[in-house]
Amino acid sequence: MSAKDRRLAELKQLVPEVTPEEAEARRRAGAVLIDVREPDEVAQGSPVGAARIVRGFLELRVEDAAPDFDAEVLVICAGGVRSLFAAEGLQRMGYTNAHSVVGGFNRWKSDGLPVEVPATLDGAERERYGRHLLMPEIGEAGQLRLLAAKVLLVGAGGLGCPIAQYLAAAGVGTLTLVDDDVVDRSNLQRQVLHTDAGVGRPKVESAREALLRLNPTTNVTVHRERLTSTNVERLFAGQDVIVDGSDNFPTRYLVNDACVKLGIPNVHGSVFRFEGQVTVFWPGRSPDPGPCYRCLYPEPPPPELAPSCAEAGVLGVLPGVIGLLEAIETVKLLLDLGEPLVGRLIHYEALTQRFTDLRLARDPSCTYCGDGASFPGYVDYEQFCSSTGS
Amino acid sequence: MVLSRTVLVLPPKLRAELEEIVRGGYPLETCGVLVGEQREGGAVVTGVVSARNIDTEHPADRYEVDPGDFMAADLAARAVGRELVAIWHSHPDHPARPSETDRAAAWSGWSYVIASVGAAGIGTLRSWRLTDEAHFVEEPLLDQDAALPAVRGDPR
Repeated sequence: MSAKDRRLAELKQLVPEVTPEEAEARRRAGAVLIDVREPDEVAQGSPVGAARIVRGFLELRVEDAAPDFDAEVLVICAGGVRSLFAAEGLQRMGYTNAHSVVGGFNRWKSDGLPVEVPATLDGAERERYGRHLLMPEIGEAGQLRLLAAKVLLVGAGGLGCPIAQYLAAAGVGTLTLVDDDVVDRSNLQRQVLHTDAGVGRPKVESAREALLRLNPTTNVTVHRERLTSTNVERLFAGQDVIVDGSDNFPTRYLVNDACVKLGIPNVHGSVFRFEGQVTVFWPGRSPDPGPCYRCLYPEPPPPELAPSCAEAGVLGVLPGVIGLLEAIETVKLLLDLGEPLVGRLIHYEALTQRFTDLRLARDPSCTYCGDGASFPGYVDYEQFCSSTGS
Repeated sequence: MVLSRTVLVLPPKLRAELEEIVRGGYPLETCGVLVGEQREGGAVVTGVVSARNIDTEHPADRYEVDPGDFMAADLAARAVGRELVAIWHSHPDHPARPSETDRAAAWSGWSYVIASVGAAGIGTLRSWRLTDEAHFVEEPLLDQDAALPAVRGDPR
């Protein structure tokens, strides 16, 4: 008897086996079924409802699928051999009720048990996003979520460029850019998707080409138009996250109001000279809703107190820092990872390299997102931000 | 645009107290100071103090806090381990935004709370701070003191 056969005989003594039919019945009753085959095998089909953890990472990732060490865990491979090794590995980890499915997926299929073809990454995607796949917090499931995600960026300028660049690189599947401006040479000090040769071209076109050069699989939709009360809901509908990289108050209030109405998280950033800030406005979050922009600033500042970057300048690198903080928040929201900046604002001061973390409360009497508030409608934002206020 | 790196926390009870003084003084401009505690990221108000407006030539649209009232409030605050964190004044029949006169008279490191008030009552309260470049920037006016981490223990 070969060493392999001796080892298999030992494993059969150690690991209880169940038939595919029995495994399916137990899965329906609450047992955890884990398909440990390789991605190219799983891509051809896998038991419905199975967790898919490749054998090489089983011990590292199994606790996400089966946090209870006394839970019934059923391991399946192609023919019932690798699953014996895998189930024994789980026993060593402390799983008290680990089984192997005899005959594996081949018998599962021939017995007519339910099979699905899971969404999977192809070889090129697996290579491109390999560093994400190594992280259990993202993995294949997370990468597939990113690829299915839709993010709209308001502005393809100082903030929009680095945000779009990194979101495209990270594999966010659909990016929509809204900007009516054209590339000016003075933009190139910070708007890193545009080039000298692109001066005079629409920013959204310039950005789209750069993004597709970086990641040709990204679906980049562009709208060379200014965001208005008339088009905002058409453009925002169906988006998972809105990223506000706008540079003016009318757009900022409009983005806020539309996001409040549609319940979409609004990743917000702004820069000025040597400082910047980032937060997530999301009063529609459940649980733990946060404030909207109007909770903090019910009225815009007087125009004479609000010089823009065009008037006061901005350090060219700064939008990169703030934009990437926005990009990180976006990815966290899409993957439901960590603690989003909802109800928190990070203020960054470049000259002292200081980050200040402010906690922001929702205003229950906010006219747009307060308790019991019904959406009061869009306003004339240009007029709203140029008037004297009250 | 200029960004706020601070917030001012004004609990609802103190806000109501301030608004009552402002309403009572209308149509004249009222003023005073706010006592509290400076923390990382802003200030928390723990008391409202009314002061006399010594600009008797323009009492409806100018203010100058009586220095005696200011000193008394400062001493009283220090006696209980607090400090003055803001100057407040009202804008009768005028928006709650700082005028050029307000800007010229302002010091950095303080909050300037302005309450608009009219015959119908209080309009809005807004808080402003002077930047290093002598611009006014609006800071969020919040009602919860959980907004800022305590640096010298809980003021309550």
